[in-house]
Amino acid sequence: MERRSFLKGFGMVAACTTLIPQIAGAADEAKKVVSPNEMNYDTAVAAITGGKPLVASAKVAISAPEIAENGAVVPVKVTVESPMSSKDFVKAIHILASKNGNVRCANVYLTPANGEAYFGTRVKLGGTQDVVAIAEMSDGTFLTAKQNVKVTIGGCG
Amino acid sequence: MAEMKTLIKIKPKTYAVGEVVKIDFMAMHPMETGMRKNKDTGEVIPAHYIDEVKFMFNDQVITKMVIWESLSVNPLFSISFKVPAAGMLKIIAKDNKGQSVESTEQITPKG
Repeated sequence: MERRSFLKGFGMVAACTTLIPQIAGAADEAKKVVSPNEMNYDTAVAAITGGKPLVASAKVAISAPEIAENGAVVPVKVTVESPMSSKDFVKAIHILASKNGNVRCANVYLTPANGEAYFGTRVKLGGTQDVVAIAEMSDGTFLTAKQNVKVTIGGCG
Repeated sequence: MAEMKTLIKIKPKTYAVGEVVKIDFMAMHPMETGMRKNKDTGEVIPAHYIDEVKFMFNDQVITKMVIWESLSVNPLFSISFKVPAAGMLKIIAKDNKGQSVESTEQITPKG
């Protein structure tokens, strides 16, 4: 490569790297539309638990990919260890995406007729974040588990 | 929008009374978040998503779900179900524009 063309190329690269962040920032600003059901993580958790403490528990197993190439379709499966008898069962499984505009994904109300506490679905993730499962037990306690999902292409645009 | 198309799958295909099976329910739905813009006009596409799904067996509710727009396009709902006897499984899905669809599947345990 000749010295002249090399310098030209180098100059272009430098110009691009300084310009791109500004353009990207402006585009983000223009794109910003607030979700109609906007709710942040803390409010959503408070609405579910009613102020009761959340206990991280190994009884709740959440399965989601660690790296999701496409945020538009992220499979999530939640199982909760429980006998699912009429006295001791999982009342509900809630799935939250901690950084989506509306963090709530699904509230699933189970009954002992389910036999097993299981819920599987596919969610949209706007970016890298935690997917949180909250299990509401029949004795009134709330168990939780989470899984961090790295998203390379967001699914909410 | 045209009638919502749905699909019910029961795994495994053959099961006995008392066995726990997985019921997969899929609905063809755009699940618009209300945050997307029409690329040509720049207008925001209004939110349109399934907000309620009810699984019933012989008219008794086994699982009820409240759904938000964060689920993927053509969402999948998968639950467990302990087969108590032969009967009719009915799944009702409703979206935020008031459209609803009802799908049924015969439960016929073997052995």
